[in-house]
Amino acid sequence: MNARASVRPQAIKKIGASEIHILWSDGHASTYRASYLRRHCRCALCVDELTGRSVLAPETIPDELTIVSVELVGQYALHFQWSDGHSTGIYPFAQLRALCPCEHCVSALSSAAPLT
Amino acid sequence: MFGKRIGESDVLRALRQVVDPDLHRDIVSLGFVKNLKIEDSVVSFDINLTTPACPVRERMREEARRAVAQLEGVREVRVNLTAEVRPHVGLDRSGLAGVRNIVAIGSGKGGVGKSTVAVNLAATLRTSGARVGLLDADIYGPAVPIMLGHRQQAEVRENRIVPAEHHGLRFISMGLFVPGDKPLIWRGPMAHKALQQCLFDVEWGELDYLLVDLPPGTGDVHLTLAQSVPVTGAVIVSTPQDVGLVISMKTLRMFQQTNIPILGIVENMSYYVCSHCGAREEIFGHGGARRASEELGVPFLGEIPIDVRIRRQADTGTPIVLADPESPAAQAYRAIAEQLAAQISIVNYQMTPLRIEEVST
Repeated sequence: MNARASVRPQAIKKIGASEIHILWSDGHASTYRASYLRRHCRCALCVDELTGRSVLAPETIPDELTIVSVELVGQYALHFQWSDGHSTGIYPFAQLRALCPCEHCVSALSSAAPLT
Repeated sequence: MFGKRIGESDVLRALRQVVDPDLHRDIVSLGFVKNLKIEDSVVSFDINLTTPACPVRERMREEARRAVAQLEGVREVRVNLTAEVRPHVGLDRSGLAGVRNIVAIGSGKGGVGKSTVAVNLAATLRTSGARVGLLDADIYGPAVPIMLGHRQQAEVRENRIVPAEHHGLRFISMGLFVPGDKPLIWRGPMAHKALQQCLFDVEWGELDYLLVDLPPGTGDVHLTLAQSVPVTGAVIVSTPQDVGLVISMKTLRMFQQTNIPILGIVENMSYYVCSHCGAREEIFGHGGARRASEELGVPFLGEIPIDVRIRRQADTGTPIVLADPESPAAQAYRAIAEQLAAQISIVNYQMTPLRIEEVST
């Protein structure tokens, strides 16, 4: 295992008010909608800390949710302020990569064992 | 022969043979060669290194001298070594505007000599000519003020904290905020706030290296550091004992999870040399940290012996590297500081700056 050889973003772009684009060091590109990321928030308000179960009802997040601001957390994560006022989530790059909604990543995920 | 004119391009072509062994590129394309002057048959130039603590500076000087001396018509070569520590990407927040690199010093558990190592490494880097600061973030056992022999309260001027300065080192300790014998009992959010103050509200000024002496283990302070600033990298201090190493691995993984590069592992209390008979005793075993770093693929920075003088100097406020620079312990520290400085230069060379670009549609 090489401590420095993890996939990391090479370029991060906020496109318009509701999209994030990440180009990764292995050449893969991911595009995320704000509402999609908001629905996958792992913060203590959205996920039960003891059971790990999501307490956020995805349908309460409007599709047209926008990004009020986005900033880097150290050099390992992104932090968003969403238009619904929520801002406690931190999205590590490893999690963002796992969340990539592109066809390739989604089909690779669904053919693997189901996530608990 | 003396009549032949030497051109700049001849000299630069010759210097392209000199390769920085850490960055694996020649010193000309790295932009290290400055102030090239050719007067008659005398060639002089600077090699601007990435750290004054460069472990291979004399080797590069000699290689450069030899490469140019081979040119026809050169009678004398004068190589001047300079150093400019390159800043880590993205460090520009308020009080940290002049700080080029933040280096975390961590350990898996307490009592491995992390603060002693931090103080001596800071003093060694300072001796090499670098501008060095030390932030003692070990809220549970702030030891730096004792080890540097300076226990005055931090001064506050116009809402900014002025760091203490002693032995040429600027430092702030959480220990300076509380009187000597009072324990520091803080909840996580208070530790978070205190560390942020020590980072952003302190007049650090221009520093090549700011070393942060972390509390043992993994916790609030570590997370705050990783989330607040782009840390150039982290050093793990360990004893040779396996149990110490297993715990150190947890600290190491935490740094990796927050994308902080591991600059290397230091094995402290590596062995003991008897002051009477000179026999070497490996009290806690030996070589465990080197083996672990090889397995993990992270640099091994070196080992420091157990030496009563290291402890005595720390207790009296003058680190051994300053009190007795030629002692075996000080030499061990020097070798480690040079390896550390080299690793910092490598990280800064490889790291691409990360920022968020806003594109309107």
